[in-house]
Amino acid sequence: MKKLSFIGAALLASTVLAGQAGAQELNVICSNEQDWCDLMVSNFEDATGIDVSMVRKSTGETLAQVRAEAGNPTFDVWWGGTGDPHLIAASEGLTQPSGADTSELLGWAVNLAEISEGRTIGIHLGVLGIAYNREILAEKGIEPPACWRDLTNPAYAGEIQVANPNSSGTAYTELATLVQVFGEDDAFSLLQEIGANVNTYTKSGSAPSKAAARGETGISIGFEHDMVKLKLAGFPLEIVSPCEGTGYEVGGVSIIQGAENFDEAVQWVNFVLSADAQSAGPEVGVYNVPSNSNAILPDEAPAVESIKLIDYDFGTYGSSDTRARLLARWDEEVKPQG
Amino acid sequence: MNLNTPGSVVFENVVKKYGEVTALKALNLTVEPGTLVTLLGPSGCGKTTTLRLIAGLEAATSGKVIIGGKDVTHLSATYRAVSMVFQSYALFPHMTVRQNVAYGLTVKGMNKREAAGSADAGLEMVGLKGFGDRLPSELSGGQQQRVAVARAIVLEPEVLLLDEPLSNLDAKLRRHVREEIRQIQQELGLTAVYVTHDQEEAMAVSDRIIVMRNAEIAQEGNPHDLYERPNSAFIADFIGDANLVDCEVISTSDKGAEVAISGQQLLIPNEFNHKGNAKLVLRPHHIQLSDGGEGFEGNITYAAYLGNQVQYTIDGALGPLFVITDITSNPFSTGQNVRISFDPRKARLVAG
Amino acid sequence: MKRTTGLWLLIGLFGYAVLPWYALKRGFWSFEWVSQFGQQISASALFQVLNFGRFWLAPAGVALLVAAVLLTMNNPVKRSRWTALAALVGLIMTALQGLIIVRGGPQAFGDFFAFGGMENGQLGFGAGAFVLLLSLLFVLTTAISGMGKGRGDAFVVGLIGLIIALVGVFVFFPVVHILIRAFETPDGFSLTAFLPRLFSSDIWGLGCLSGTSCGPGINSVVLAILTGATSTALGLSFALIFTRTDFRAKKLLRLLTVIPIVTPPFVIGLALILLFGRTGAVTGLFADLFDVEKTRWIYGFDGVFLAQVLSFTPIAFLVLIGVVEGVSPSMEEASQTLNANRWQTFRYVSLPLMRPGLANAFLLGFIESLADFGNPLVLGGNFDVLSTEIYFSIVGTVADASGTAILSIALLMLTLGAFIIQRQWVGKKSYATVTGKGDSGRHSALSKGVKTACYATALPWAAFTAVVYSMIIFGSFVKLWGYNNSFTFDHYIRAFGIKHTAHGWRFSGVAWDSYFTTLTISSIAAPLTALLGLATAYLLVRQKFAGKNIFEFSTMLSFAIPGTVIGVSYILAFNFPPIELTGTSIILIIVFVFRNMPVGVRGGIAAMSQLDKSLDEASITLGANSFTTVRRVITPLLGPAILAALTYSFVRAITSVSAVIFLVSAKHNMATSFIVGRVENGEFGIAIAYSAVLIVTMITVIVLLQLLIGRRKLRASDRVET
Repeated sequence: MKKLSFIGAALLASTVLAGQAGAQELNVICSNEQDWCDLMVSNFEDATGIDVSMVRKSTGETLAQVRAEAGNPTFDVWWGGTGDPHLIAASEGLTQPSGADTSELLGWAVNLAEISEGRTIGIHLGVLGIAYNREILAEKGIEPPACWRDLTNPAYAGEIQVANPNSSGTAYTELATLVQVFGEDDAFSLLQEIGANVNTYTKSGSAPSKAAARGETGISIGFEHDMVKLKLAGFPLEIVSPCEGTGYEVGGVSIIQGAENFDEAVQWVNFVLSADAQSAGPEVGVYNVPSNSNAILPDEAPAVESIKLIDYDFGTYGSSDTRARLLARWDEEVKPQG
Repeated sequence: MNLNTPGSVVFENVVKKYGEVTALKALNLTVEPGTLVTLLGPSGCGKTTTLRLIAGLEAATSGKVIIGGKDVTHLSATYRAVSMVFQSYALFPHMTVRQNVAYGLTVKGMNKREAAGSADAGLEMVGLKGFGDRLPSELSGGQQQRVAVARAIVLEPEVLLLDEPLSNLDAKLRRHVREEIRQIQQELGLTAVYVTHDQEEAMAVSDRIIVMRNAEIAQEGNPHDLYERPNSAFIADFIGDANLVDCEVISTSDKGAEVAISGQQLLIPNEFNHKGNAKLVLRPHHIQLSDGGEGFEGNITYAAYLGNQVQYTIDGALGPLFVITDITSNPFSTGQNVRISFDPRKARLVAG
Repeated sequence: MKRTTGLWLLIGLFGYAVLPWYALKRGFWSFEWVSQFGQQISASALFQVLNFGRFWLAPAGVALLVAAVLLTMNNPVKRSRWTALAALVGLIMTALQGLIIVRGGPQAFGDFFAFGGMENGQLGFGAGAFVLLLSLLFVLTTAISGMGKGRGDAFVVGLIGLIIALVGVFVFFPVVHILIRAFETPDGFSLTAFLPRLFSSDIWGLGCLSGTSCGPGINSVVLAILTGATSTALGLSFALIFTRTDFRAKKLLRLLTVIPIVTPPFVIGLALILLFGRTGAVTGLFADLFDVEKTRWIYGFDGVFLAQVLSFTPIAFLVLIGVVEGVSPSMEEASQTLNANRWQTFRYVSLPLMRPGLANAFLLGFIESLADFGNPLVLGGNFDVLSTEIYFSIVGTVADASGTAILSIALLMLTLGAFIIQRQWVGKKSYATVTGKGDSGRHSALSKGVKTACYATALPWAAFTAVVYSMIIFGSFVKLWGYNNSFTFDHYIRAFGIKHTAHGWRFSGVAWDSYFTTLTISSIAAPLTALLGLATAYLLVRQKFAGKNIFEFSTMLSFAIPGTVIGVSYILAFNFPPIELTGTSIILIIVFVFRNMPVGVRGGIAAMSQLDKSLDEASITLGANSFTTVRRVITPLLGPAILAALTYSFVRAITSVSAVIFLVSAKHNMATSFIVGRVENGEFGIAIAYSAVLIVTMITVIVLLQLLIGRRKLRASDRVET
């Protein structure tokens, strides 16, 4: 029996109750690329002396976790990832306004703050585009696409890869973009036609471009900054901004409701919105368009001026109702049955 | 290290049920200190359950188990001063012979060296001096068996339990080992409870035998009593060889019972007070055969000459009989007609 | 019995009167509470009651007091009965107040109560509460054993109580949080909507028979059955080659069978793509040689199946090797002396004796396949399985808690079904082959046919594994895997660089932090997992007690539930008082222990059912208590099972991703979560390099464990008849 007490004590020792430390600290959940997360953290620590603990998670995972932790969050601030989940979090009251200064920011970034009543602010722009593997297309002797409509070309049969909008925010952005460009009914019949050429609806939004880079598929739809990165890594990838006009995502930064370190979180928000901080992106291969008008644009970044951007309606297409309706219709009309 | 003195075992109305199945019906038994008592019976009679109840490996459904005058009904096996020799020996395969024997001593807190010393003494007692460093797998069956005995007795238990300890040995070895067990038991004055289904083994080693049948005691007594005075056809048949002859009790008196067998009347001089159908127990060597004269008719159907004795199977007025005689000169041959007679004083009446 | 109870009461009193009742901001080990003694925040329960009016903490103290007074009672059975009652009431009252009097509150109890103290709530349980609850639990179990239950064995009853409590708190409690949502509809809760949704054709559709696609439920079942059967068969082949042949390169084979287990998720899938993808090496080779169309066959059922069999065959092997070794040679010899030839001996004696092992191996493969989500994610293409559907119902664009719960229940049903079928098949036969009789025989060699079959399946598979792993090693040394194959060390330097700076040597690589965290957490979790798993197996095999079947099932539950669901349910349950663990390393350890424990249990059961029960009984009648018996007799004979449990839980803690993805925190990041991030980012090189380092680390640890624990020595020599 003494032995049992010993086991008890051992269990006790192993299970006893850690706590959180005090001091000046900040817990960041980062949905950007790992390197970008690391760099921003170290720059912020250098600039403020605040001790940052950061973990990287995808936006979906982050939203799921923030929801589950509502009321007693373990994180203070959420930086990066598409704006939609940030907007959802804002509308569910999971985040709080930071009161950060948005005067230097570009219009689309301020727009995000306005929709969310200041709960989330735009940090960068990612443009939706089409990528193709030039070697594959050359081998097959097919002309590369230039517009959304080109994707219906029967020559591309089995060569297009795109994500499933049910699981991927990227693919939902694409769906919403087409609806805004062509009108809902036309958009769905276009998606159906494109669907005939699609080999796989992947779960993850960045998977199609990676597959295109390696030649697993000929053509992908996704965000152009992902494509730029792959292209710069040396893959035979070419990027196309569709001629009909294209949509985009705006990455957001939000402070979690009930954050333990609110003041430090506000400092973080101000920091990541600053021109200096945003200009560091290309150092680690981040090629989206920064939201601070004074930030220096990387050369490789998609040249926003030459792209026909639509006036993306985040309010309407970010709302849960529209989303549920469009996704249901997508399941009904586009989702592969075989 | 306080070791134990031999203790008694008493069961008071012990019942054991497994769900719906009754393994023991209200059992009462007493084992005197220093004696070897055998639980004998066919398989499924409850003898092993009884043994496990003494060991504490099973808990009684109701009743009391008293060992050495102490009520141990609710005491777990660990705390009972009882050791057991298992049918399978249950030697720990990862320990050497010495470690096996010393195991019980070390778990009781004896220091290792002292325990090893006692273990060696125990091994010497069972004739395995010098085998301490081997693994059980390197010993023969008989040697393993002796290790199991040594392991049990070095604890000097109040009661030593043996569960069919010889069943895995060959016949010759069996006789040898059972003599050894008996010797050791008597030498150390141990109380021992021995389970077997082999009546010869039981007769050879026991001070007393408890014959069990259908979850209760059929008869108990010393070997001689059981053999000479069985109280039922089952016991008569189970203990030694017996011929059971149908008969009818006509009258009883203090001289004995007047019995009709195959048209003849005989006086069997043992107490019996039921009239009507009964059985007469005739031991094979209590039957005499002759060429003619008095007696029941019979015909030899099989004769086996074994050197020191002749065994016959006979069919006749008394039904099929098995007879052993040590008259080995001029044996009867198969097919021969004979006359069968017996001494009524050596016959025994039991309920039919 | 009195002494034991008294000891636990003293411990309980210490917890109640001295230790801080609530969780401390800076942790218990900072010992700040000693200097702050008497302040509300670090006061013991006794002080909370007396000085701060928290009357709801009083019942626990009263229970201790009553139990102490009862010690003076003479009738042991009556005393035990009353003590048990007191301890039980104390436990329930303490747990209830913890659940009810909270501010934010776990959603499951949110609106049901209104109570004094509700407005302010209270913090999570701390050291005091933990010690008190534990001591009350053991007072309770000791009392129950005193009532004659469990053959009066306090150790056994205590162990049962402890495991029930742990499984209850760390499996049932969190899982209830998520499963309750299965009844949620947009308009509230509904019982009637549940069944139609559970059995809807969205999950169980059989469309693939008629040309469209099947539901994820059907896909999962078919995949799991095939994966389970194939990996068991291959595992058996390997195990037989190991124990019954004189194959020369056993060591190499062993390595190849172990490596896939120690491979972080995604890596096998990536390697398969590079081999068999449309631009893969093998595909290209075939296209050139036979002029066939390059296809994308690897994406879908075929690819997932291949990857899963690669991943899970080693698990089957680990389960089976112990079992195959354990089959008593004398039984095989007996069969041969009965004129059976080698094939008949194998078919009618050895194989049936391995049945529990085979059933366990299959069950593990089946469940692993159901729960696996890394491989379907990478290779699934349009082939949907339940695990990925569950994951994306949580992290997808539309959060659907109710759908998640429904899918989880569907998955749970499958696992439960497998479990029941397995029980039926193994049945109640005795498979004890390690008896107390020393066994000097030799294992019979395999018949020609069986031997050929083993070689023909296992060796090509081993070769295939070797190729896959060469690809992985290759991938970590090239610039751009699959495209630019020039040699480089960059990935390793970036991940595991060590720099000499002005302040001395510094671990400058980006992977070091998560690497150290991962190793620490796995090393703590592994022994706890093995301990808990084997203890449970011991209870299941060797002890009789009421509700054993339910007990067995509940210990399997956490394994059956997909990791993602566990992860989310842990956040839901342990982010709030009374048990506040999110963001700590403890929650990671706990999730590993309870997720991997079932493997220890299964392995332990298989191994233990081969040990003759009379060995324990002999030990007990020789005066050893159950604990000593476990320690000195059972444990040494379970060497291989312990090794397997330790290895498996250590490795799983390092390689599992689904459960931890929601639980890692900024301070405690795990290697897999780091790797997944890199894979998502397309940085395969660094992900692979990190994986390679993890693989080497794990193999080193496994080899060390093997040397440490070694093999059980039951026979003078473990030779194979040649």
